[in-house]
Amino acid sequence: MRRCLTAALVGAVCAALPQAAYARATVLLQGGSVSFFADTLAVIARDGASLRLVDGTHAVADAVYVDLKSDRAVLAGHARVEHGAAAAEADAIAIDLDSNRVDLLHVGTGVSRTTRTLANPVPAEIDAQRFAFPDVDDRYAYIRARHAAITPRANARFSPATFPTSVGAVPVPSYLYTFATAAGFGVSTLPGATFDQPYGLVGTPTSLTAVHARWENNDPAFALQEQLASGDTAYATGAIDTPLRGTSTSGFNAYQRLGTRYTFLVDGNSAFGSREGDATLGAAFGPAGGRLTYHLQSGGYSSFDASLRSPDEVLIGGITLRLTADIGYDAQRGGDLYPYTVLPDGRSYATVWRHGLDAFLATPIVRAPLGTTIGFTLDADRTWYAFPRHGDTVTAAANASKKLSKSLAVFAGYQNAWTSQIYPDRQALFFPIPLAPLLTPDGTPYFGWYAYNGTAVARYMNLDLQYAPPTSSTSLRLSARHADDFFQFDGLGRPLWELRFDAQFRPFPNVGIALGRSYDFGWGGRRWVPGWSFAITP
Amino acid sequence: MAAAAAAVVFRIIPLACSGDRLAVAGGGVLRLAEGSSCSAFVPGRATGITIGDDGRVAPHPAGPDALAAAKIPRTAYIFAPAVETDADETTLVTVQIDVSVPPRTPPGDDIYISTERSNWSPSEIRMDRVDGRHFRYALQVHRGARIAFRVTRGSSATLERDTARALPPAHIAAGEPNARVTVVVAAWADID
Repeated sequence: MRRCLTAALVGAVCAALPQAAYARATVLLQGGSVSFFADTLAVIARDGASLRLVDGTHAVADAVYVDLKSDRAVLAGHARVEHGAAAAEADAIAIDLDSNRVDLLHVGTGVSRTTRTLANPVPAEIDAQRFAFPDVDDRYAYIRARHAAITPRANARFSPATFPTSVGAVPVPSYLYTFATAAGFGVSTLPGATFDQPYGLVGTPTSLTAVHARWENNDPAFALQEQLASGDTAYATGAIDTPLRGTSTSGFNAYQRLGTRYTFLVDGNSAFGSREGDATLGAAFGPAGGRLTYHLQSGGYSSFDASLRSPDEVLIGGITLRLTADIGYDAQRGGDLYPYTVLPDGRSYATVWRHGLDAFLATPIVRAPLGTTIGFTLDADRTWYAFPRHGDTVTAAANASKKLSKSLAVFAGYQNAWTSQIYPDRQALFFPIPLAPLLTPDGTPYFGWYAYNGTAVARYMNLDLQYAPPTSSTSLRLSARHADDFFQFDGLGRPLWELRFDAQFRPFPNVGIALGRSYDFGWGGRRWVPGWSFAITP
Repeated sequence: MAAAAAAVVFRIIPLACSGDRLAVAGGGVLRLAEGSSCSAFVPGRATGITIGDDGRVAPHPAGPDALAAAKIPRTAYIFAPAVETDADETTLVTVQIDVSVPPRTPPGDDIYISTERSNWSPSEIRMDRVDGRHFRYALQVHRGARIAFRVTRGSSATLERDTARALPPAHIAAGEPNARVTVVVAAWADID
């Protein structure tokens, strides 16, 4: 039932889209071959190319180049353009797609300029930019097709589409490539996946409806996503993951910039029978700022936070200090607010207010002996509750780097995060000695759990060796990582040791490959646990 | 034979050819040498030419040493373009992207570039670490490219934000030789 409601909601959003379902391309390009180059946003039709514009202008030539960056077209060789009853022939023709201008180049007489009505051409000097035609190799095209339907500054639909430089990409009858840069097109509410390939169904300058082919938890899956964008000032996104399964999840996210100072963000998601949502109003006052956040989740829990942050004050030695103060509450409808449920009168705890103060210090990156650089951060936070209770968090981190050569560098990091929950005179009530030891995922009892009395620590060390030539897209990284936490035991918590290798390179100009191999050692009753990651990028 | 070997070859994109006239990308018109035919030129397909002492051009295979069309002497043109241009987009150029992140960035996090080429995949390109707060990447693109990109920590929930905690416009990496883009990330979407 819930899935049906969610599907109906997304369907309603899709139906309400401005122009989405009726988006109409304004430029139709076709030829014996149509090649698209993603980085230069160039579309080139050859072998009997034709161009048709939404105002009825129709042009043919031996080859046609459409520059999606500057919305212009160049027709090369035996070019002819028609508009209504008017027609003009030339050796090459340049047409603006977002204005009326048409330039006709005759090798015998030079250039004459007119409009799309093709009336009264007048001699003009040759504008090299208008007749620029890119020197490209069709073998390296990102997409090859026979037809392209282009909506300027938004997208182009290629059909039938093949991907000559994308390893493993299968031909499809139609492929929508979106090149709009509005921020909303970069926001997704889908959960992480090992592999995610979006396939655009319908697109306009302000919207995109896409189906995502995914690989999640060792299973293939698909998802639906709708994105609405208004430049960089507003967006709304909604998605359903694996809509036909019991494990379906859904989410939405909307953002609006309100003038120069304020932003408003609302989001929500539903997964495994649980639903939650947040609404946040952010404000900036010069370098300082604040936010109001309301959080609501199924089961009746809610919280509210109001926070103010100071500017980053530069202290002696270039150390920066930022203070953040916040006040808010946690609430449980009907009482029994966690963790006060252990109290005899726990049911009476429906709302508990709290306030907190956070101080964050950061040193600049400074030079250290042996040609290293190093930087430190320290973050200390205390939250006081209306109930006799306070919580502390102190996190310290140090990161050093050393350049061994132009391409080779080594990085070392250490982080220690200490957290504590204190209930004066009632510590034993909130953290009683367990009746039985905690069992780890493989069933091994963890007797160290008996020592937990509200204080935990997480220590993390990393040592990375990176090979990255300065003018190359290739990078190799070997990482050793060690986590030493309390509590952490035999598959419970973070793995003790991890060795990881990452490679990123471009075997062809239009293909990037990112490859990762990792091993967790001596964890969860296994000698090592290997893992892979793999991605292909255009 | 020796003279032919020494001839300078220019790489051009023919726009059109008719009679003894050859229009090249950029709009300039050249005159063909005696015995040269338009059949050697396919509109829109790169090829090479040599220029004789009389200023007339003849087709010639374009090797890797061929000069760009922008180097063609203006005296060789019957109609010269008003602005010289080099439309060679087969060459790859490197755009250096330098990113500095705010001190509150979690120290172990990788920094990524997200571009329109991948439908804004938030973990498209992992940047190389320079030190605790600086990252770089040598983005190789074709000359003339214009890549819009944003900086993330690997997910769309960790997009960069400006000083007002609002979404900044996308950055542009332009495919020009020795291009460099410097990005100062003021804040992250998930860290105030």
